[in-house]
Amino acid sequence: MTNELNLDREAHDRMTASTRRGAHKTRANTIVKATDHATPLELSNITIHYGGGKGGAEAVNVVDDFNMTLHAGEMHCVAGRSGSGKTSILTVGAGLTLPTSGRVFWEGDSLETMGDDEIADRRRALIGYVDQGGALIDGMSALENVLLPAVPDGEVEKRRDMAKDLLDLVGLGRRMRHRPAQLSGGERQRVAIARALILGTRVLVVDEPTASLDRAAANRIISILKDTTSDGIAVLVASHDHELVRQSDTLTELI
Amino acid sequence: MNAVQRFIRSRVLLLTASILIVAMCLSVLVQGQSQAALNRTVDQNSRGLYDVLVQAKADDNGGLMQPDIATGQGGISFEQLDSIRKLSGTSVAAPISLVSRVTQNLESPRLDATDYLGFNAGLAGTSGDPTATDPSKWPAAESVLNDTPKKYRLTASAVSSDGHSDQTLFKTTAEGSLGKAKLVEEEVAGGKNVRIQGPDGETGIKFPTPAGGSEHNLFNLSVSLPMAPQVTESVVAVDPVSERALLGTAGDFLAPLEKAPPADARNAGAIGRHFESLFTNGISMEQLKEGPDFLGVKLKYWAPLMTQYQQAKRDGQLTADSQAIPLIVRSGTALDLKYSVKIEEIDDSGNVTKDVGTVTRSLDKDYLPFVSKSPFALAWPGSKDLSQLMGDTGSFSQGLYNPATWSTNFAAAPAYKDGEAAANGAVDKSATPGDWVTVNRLPDKAANGAAVDQTQRDPVDERSYRQNLETGKKLATPLAMVYGTFDAANVKDAAGDVNRLPLGGYDPAPFTLTKDASGTDVNTELKPSLSATGLVSQSAGAITDYYGLAAARGYEKNASVIDAVRVRANVPGSWKQAQPEVEKLANEIRDMGLQATVVAGSAREDANIAVPGYSKDGAGKESPLGTVQQSWVRQDAADAVSSSLTATNLTLLFLTLCGAALLTGASTVSYIRKRRSEAGTLRAMGWTQRKIRSWVLAEFGVGAALLAVVGVALSLISWSAATAMVSASVLVLYVGAAFVAAQQLRHREVVDQEPQHDERLIAVDSPLTFANRQLSTNKFNTISLAVAVGVFGAAVGGLVALLIDIPRAAGASALSGLAAASIALPSIILGVSGVAVGLLLTMVTGRFELQAKRQYLGTLRAMGWNPDMLGQVRLFENAMVGAVALPLGIVGALGIGLLLAPYAALWAAIAGLVAVLCWIPIATKVVQ
Repeated sequence: MTNELNLDREAHDRMTASTRRGAHKTRANTIVKATDHATPLELSNITIHYGGGKGGAEAVNVVDDFNMTLHAGEMHCVAGRSGSGKTSILTVGAGLTLPTSGRVFWEGDSLETMGDDEIADRRRALIGYVDQGGALIDGMSALENVLLPAVPDGEVEKRRDMAKDLLDLVGLGRRMRHRPAQLSGGERQRVAIARALILGTRVLVVDEPTASLDRAAANRIISILKDTTSDGIAVLVASHDHELVRQSDTLTELI
Repeated sequence: MNAVQRFIRSRVLLLTASILIVAMCLSVLVQGQSQAALNRTVDQNSRGLYDVLVQAKADDNGGLMQPDIATGQGGISFEQLDSIRKLSGTSVAAPISLVSRVTQNLESPRLDATDYLGFNAGLAGTSGDPTATDPSKWPAAESVLNDTPKKYRLTASAVSSDGHSDQTLFKTTAEGSLGKAKLVEEEVAGGKNVRIQGPDGETGIKFPTPAGGSEHNLFNLSVSLPMAPQVTESVVAVDPVSERALLGTAGDFLAPLEKAPPADARNAGAIGRHFESLFTNGISMEQLKEGPDFLGVKLKYWAPLMTQYQQAKRDGQLTADSQAIPLIVRSGTALDLKYSVKIEEIDDSGNVTKDVGTVTRSLDKDYLPFVSKSPFALAWPGSKDLSQLMGDTGSFSQGLYNPATWSTNFAAAPAYKDGEAAANGAVDKSATPGDWVTVNRLPDKAANGAAVDQTQRDPVDERSYRQNLETGKKLATPLAMVYGTFDAANVKDAAGDVNRLPLGGYDPAPFTLTKDASGTDVNTELKPSLSATGLVSQSAGAITDYYGLAAARGYEKNASVIDAVRVRANVPGSWKQAQPEVEKLANEIRDMGLQATVVAGSAREDANIAVPGYSKDGAGKESPLGTVQQSWVRQDAADAVSSSLTATNLTLLFLTLCGAALLTGASTVSYIRKRRSEAGTLRAMGWTQRKIRSWVLAEFGVGAALLAVVGVALSLISWSAATAMVSASVLVLYVGAAFVAAQQLRHREVVDQEPQHDERLIAVDSPLTFANRQLSTNKFNTISLAVAVGVFGAAVGGLVALLIDIPRAAGASALSGLAAASIALPSIILGVSGVAVGLLLTMVTGRFELQAKRQYLGTLRAMGWNPDMLGQVRLFENAMVGAVALPLGIVGALGIGLLLAPYAALWAAIAGLVAVLCWIPIATKVVQ
């Protein structure tokens, strides 16, 4: 498994280098095309359109024929200008929205064959999603927010210590009883990341984690994300932060 | 962006102003329309045929007037009547009196069996009438009887029903043989004689006297049947001219009575002798049917009088003082009396060999008191009437054989005692029975003077609900002089249904049995009894004038024999418009020492009357009838209905405005929350608090101006103080909300760095505890939404209470039913708009947190909460809000119910409960 992973990482490096050499003219560039079903996340021929329904709004072609394979322990960055479809790719990858066409594979299983409940259960076990701004539940402390994913499985008490460790890990050990309104933007993001990791997730999907943060706070977030990959967690991040792009293992730049 | 643009952009303000305008228009216009409909209905139905009822004395029944006003007790003189007529405010003064009870024996019934012998010129009466069929076209002879006589048994019976139970009046059997008749030619001096004769060996059938036996004639074999039971009728006296003025065209039937001969030309003997000479000298059939008039009446109407004159003269009943009394008789009868004959063929031993059949005839619309419209004949099964071959001889009747017995032991009004009053004002009473009256007796003598076998009948005891009053002198036998007929139903129709005021003895209010003696619900209209002194009486058998009354009761001139005078005031317009003049007229009449009851503005109302001791069994044990219902007259019903429903209208209006106020409050809160960040930005840009306040007030000012314009327009259009007040209230409400909003948007320093004390909070470990935490964290929103849901529940409860209670609140009278129906739709619209406001309130309040809710539900979904758990969160949240709203909804609905309709308050509370419970799944679905 380790060898395979190493081989894949070499391939990634080659492709990344290729990508960084020049901008691709297609709307989405395929960096890796993996066929290994053990890969935690694979997006195949994803097309996402918005609008064009009965309301008469003009259809917007956000993503066209996008392919991507995310391997364990790597951080893949989807970069691009605002409105280029970064968040759309992340929500499709996290199974939160359906693509207009194309297929999403989680550890080799297509989401098409799953019902809502199964998707929710699989998502809980596989994916930790951190959306832009790190949406926290207002009335709850940082610790309670981190523990929320454990509620469906009734493991709140079992994971309490882990939640505290995670908050320590992201540097919020002293702020765990504070509510979101009492936290800064960077702190909120870190709580959201801790929350995404509470169930031992294997894929972290993070949307614009450093947006509206100062450089120091942003670097701290980037550092946390890099650390998670060292634990074998795959990270899919959408960002146009140069530092984050630079530190990611692979990159897709949306035009 | 100016204030108008900001107002339009701020959808909350636009929505609030729009809702307030709609609520204002709806409540004002609907309430106005409702009030107008109510006033119109009350006005149109509250002035009957007369405005004041004058009586010498009357019981005080607590505003509920007994319908029977003709009692026979009199008390008002003709001088007083003249005085009433001379009052300037009097338009019509119509007197009425109960004259007498009249008992008559119905004509002897007969059973006709076709036994037609064909045309024979030798038989008298087979030719001569121009309307007769040409002899050559007469059919061949036919008969339902055998050539050889057969033995038959006839069982005649009569059954009467009061609508509740049947009473067999008699059952009499006769046997004998009957056969086909034949013509017998006999040689007599000067030629041949042809006669009809029964077959050889025929015994005929003879019921006991006064029945006459069987007889063959040209068309039938007729068997004389036992005499039908006696029927007692009442006669009332009116002044035909004023009565017609009172009734309008419905009183045209009284026109012939105006042409009746004067009092000194009504000697029964003189009239009878005139007709005897007329008939002795010969009169053609044409003359008999069409004219000439005698004393203003076609000759054909004199036939009953002639028959009775001859009978009275033969019996020695007629004296020099006997008077002919002009009558307009009632067509038809409400008496339920069925006469049946069972025909069986029997052998010599009396065993039945064949059931020929049973034939029945009822006293119904063919029946006319004092005169028989058609012979009371029953047809043998298979028979047909061929007598028309001889022409239209049946176009006038032979009349009743015996003069009726006129009695001054006549009926007074039934006595009643008050019971409890129901929630809607309906009155319970109990009827007080009088003595027992024996009916179903045969006359002492038959028409031919023969003694009558009295054992044929078992006399029947009927309870009298009327008192006998001995008045007047001993009477010489009067003779009925029939001038025309009347239909009691037409008189009732003329009086109208809602405010049908008692016109007198010829329009008695019917009784309906609603509960039998065991308390079981029934719905049976009771029928009059034979005695006419029972609980239920039918309309008068005849109407005469006051000369007739004097003759029947033996009164001298100017006796106080008028029971009541119905007075119409000389003032046009509705009840309300006429009320001052009517009151003035009533006071003037009261000054004469008479009782004057203002009946303008009255309406009929059903009174429940318990009836004890109604019947008795063979052992003499008395049993109650149960509870009967009869329409009485509720005085001042129009006032009561009008003020009650006006209060309901205003309460509804008030409640709708309360809903609008709450809605304004909720939308203002929503506005404040939306604009708070904008106000912060403006402050950061350097705006002062005063400028921000002006900025907010300018936006509200646009809405306020809009409301003011609409309010002024509505007030001008409706020109009503209520509209102006409502408009002003709404405007004040809106302006108040504006100032609150401006005040709330000022900057507040919020410094809260206190860590959360987890030990004080419920740990979040399930959808339920998550929902609980969310609601307890956002207490203001939770309570706001709970209040909104509670208001919604209360509004639904109010609507239900209203729908249930409008008829009851209006009272128990017929007018209240009409009035309630007239305002039902506007009231329902107002009530529904109240519910809509409540619903809008929940929606506006729900929107406070809708976005936040959707956001955190999305977050939970992103972290792997499955749809079921998200559904549980939504359901638990709404259920908890519902739990908080429930007491408010129930108590609110109960309160509104008690305010609007105490009777329906419980149902209102239940409706409030159901509405809140229904809101929970609906809201859960909306947040999805």
